Amino acid sequence: MIPYKKRILENGLTVVVNRDRSSKLSAVNLLYKVGARNEDPDRTGFAHLFEHLMFRGTCDVPSFDLPVQMASGEDNAFTNNDYTNFYLTLPVDNLETALWLESDRMQGLWITPEKLETEKRVVVEEFRQRYLNQPYGDQTMLLRALAYRIHPYRWATIGRSTDHIEGATLDEVEHFYRTFYRPSNAVLALSADRDEEAMLDLAEKWFGELQDTPFTPAPIPQEPQQEEARTLVVERDVPATTISIAYHMGDRLSKDFCTGDLVSDLLSGGDSSRLYQHLVKDERLFASVNAYISGDVDPGLFILTGQLLPTTTEEQAIEAFHRETESLKHEAASAYELEKVKNKFEANALFGELNVMNKAMNLCYYDFLGDLELINREIAQYRSIDTERIFEFARRIFRAENSSTLIYRAR
Amino acid sequence: MKELPIKNVQPAIEIADAELVSLKNGMQLYLLPANKFAVMRLTLLFRAGSSRQSVPFSASATANLLAEGSEAMTAREISEQLDFHGSYFDVNTDRDYVYISFAMLSKFVPETLRVAEQLLLHPTFPEEEVETYRLKRKQRLQIERQKVDVRAREAFARAMFGADHPYGHSFEEAAYDQLTREELVAFYRRHYTASNGFAVCSGRIGDEERKALCALLEQLPAAEAAPRPEFPPICQEREVRLAHEGAVQSSIRIGRLLFPREHPDFVGMQVVAATLGGYFGSRLMQNLREQHGYTYGVISAMVNFEREGYLAIATQVGTEVTEEALKEIYYEIERLRHETMSDEELQLVKNIMTGEMMRILDGPFGIADVTIENILCGRTNRIITENVERIRSITPEEVQRLAEKYLRREDLVTVVVG
Repeated sequence: MIPYKKRILENGLTVVVNRDRSSKLSAVNLLYKVGARNEDPDRTGFAHLFEHLMFRGTCDVPSFDLPVQMASGEDNAFTNNDYTNFYLTLPVDNLETALWLESDRMQGLWITPEKLETEKRVVVEEFRQRYLNQPYGDQTMLLRALAYRIHPYRWATIGRSTDHIEGATLDEVEHFYRTFYRPSNAVLALSADRDEEAMLDLAEKWFGELQDTPFTPAPIPQEPQQEEARTLVVERDVPATTISIAYHMGDRLSKDFCTGDLVSDLLSGGDSSRLYQHLVKDERLFASVNAYISGDVDPGLFILTGQLLPTTTEEQAIEAFHRETESLKHEAASAYELEKVKNKFEANALFGELNVMNKAMNLCYYDFLGDLELINREIAQYRSIDTERIFEFARRIFRAENSSTLIYRAR
Repeated sequence: MKELPIKNVQPAIEIADAELVSLKNGMQLYLLPANKFAVMRLTLLFRAGSSRQSVPFSASATANLLAEGSEAMTAREISEQLDFHGSYFDVNTDRDYVYISFAMLSKFVPETLRVAEQLLLHPTFPEEEVETYRLKRKQRLQIERQKVDVRAREAFARAMFGADHPYGHSFEEAAYDQLTREELVAFYRRHYTASNGFAVCSGRIGDEERKALCALLEQLPAAEAAPRPEFPPICQEREVRLAHEGAVQSSIRIGRLLFPREHPDFVGMQVVAATLGGYFGSRLMQNLREQHGYTYGVISAMVNFEREGYLAIATQVGTEVTEEALKEIYYEIERLRHETMSDEELQLVKNIMTGEMMRILDGPFGIADVTIENILCGRTNRIITENVERIRSITPEEVQRLAEKYLRREDLVTVVVG
């Protein structure tokens, strides 16, 4: 249970605060409602490149990191398909430093051609390090592009190619900044041992004077229903073949989210889960297996993936996955098994509340989803899932014509 | 523009000492109660790392197979019990030690400790599980070694200590074939004893928990401590270059063999390492990433083993700029040796280091981790306050003197894979 207070400033900025009485640290999280799904298909990877530029200094503060570090703080950021998130922790007495810096860079960013060029090179190196210079590095990219034809989820946050990053211009940077980095397109959350009203007032002090120019974002093209099974085979220099199967499912606020998440836990949450017990231990078909949901805001994917042992054929592996998804349609999970995955969810939620940063981050995220209350209601939602819901989910989702199979074959 | 609100607060950093409970079998249990949390974590540590093994991979295999079957429970039952109660079991093996942790909700302490008892005291290492393990690990290591970074890490250890030194060893994947159940049982008997380790527990600890912990740990056999193995002399190679087919980035490691944590200059060298590459705005990060765009990231740090310690710099750069990047790294090291840093930069480094300490100590599990490190150096948690004072009192001249003394070009070990 995370208690919080919320205020929407006149310029549209949403502020959420949580009092944590046990920590000597404070956490500040600022979420902008822009991610890779808002990108031009010919300029993918831009939201993430822009996140990097946010650390390149403003008219008043030449370096963002320097004053953070002077205040014994630490900051970082990430971008995903749906949003861009900036976060800091620092000693609670220095909390205001973070608010000053975040409010300053919401409107004062100063990007020169030189800064842009250097940052593009850094991001290209990140692209190489994470996706090109790693065995299996391009696997999730390929799977996305196979499962989505229309929706921008078809590309990864890093972008479709390094060319898109190298081609970014200063005009595009400025336009993107004006469009998306505004008070009414952001959510700010604080967690610290401070009075809640005082924290809201502090946010008001630093962010209240910022101007907001409303805009209507371009609609995001939605993915039409998939009609037939898709398969892609690629060959790579890797020691073992992996197979991934992606199924389309509902969006983040639909009932599918919790059900899909719970089903993925039945299949692969911990060593006692079905895929691990059946396919890794009993049948020894795979070296490792996983089932997970992409968890995106728009309709997402349910993904099964496994790395084959040398003695397993691709047909055997696909057949094994098929057996597991079929069984979900017809055999009810036991009360014991359901209780297990629900307990696990509850434990994870509790372990996650141990530090201030997680709390501030989650407060922003749930408000961004449009349902802040959900942060404290989700456990009950998991608790309410019964065998009927699982049957319904499995029968609707695990169909061949709803599937995309990627065979990543060892050469 | 409003006035800059930086107050630059320098909070005191103090952590209470752990309460030591000495059990009758010689086991030492350290307690760090934090009763406002509804969770608890128990960590056991044994001197059972890879430097203690005589058969390749036997140390990590012993630790990783603890949960794969016991006298009273199958592997399946163990994982069912842990998962059902939302408990986490985690093992980690390094060169010197094995760390075994159980994290649990307070309401499921007895259930979790019952499982812990099985896998700590009565593991059976079933033949079948050993076989699956060999197969899976072999494949995993093959994949790992396709990464330039992993190959560089292994080559760096060999270059720093020698291929036959327990701190430098790396083994062929095929060595997994030689791993037998008998070896694991023997390794377990020799090293998982009361006199060869200790335990640290943090979180909500009341009378019930205390009793349960003692009852569990008192059962560890009180066998004589395994003798400390003799290490061969260190044998270094100054420069190693390995080709890696198809690489678009090179992995670079540069380091200098120094001393373990107990040495009076260790903390000072942590300041040197932090200045070079210990934070986002560090000198190497400024140079390689912000100025040149050669890399996504670069770090440097002091690394501590039981008997040795070293400073290491690590980065991955575009293959086409490898030589330029090496030149810049050496340049930054030399600059630190020949120019006195400004008070302002040093103040920044100090604040970062103390802030980092506060972040690690935020929450009961972080406090336990730091306590473990302190125990390993034979110190109480008062050393935290002393170290912070030491960091806050260091001068620019001292940093330069340390860099000058310990980072001479001819003493550095350089490894490039790419």
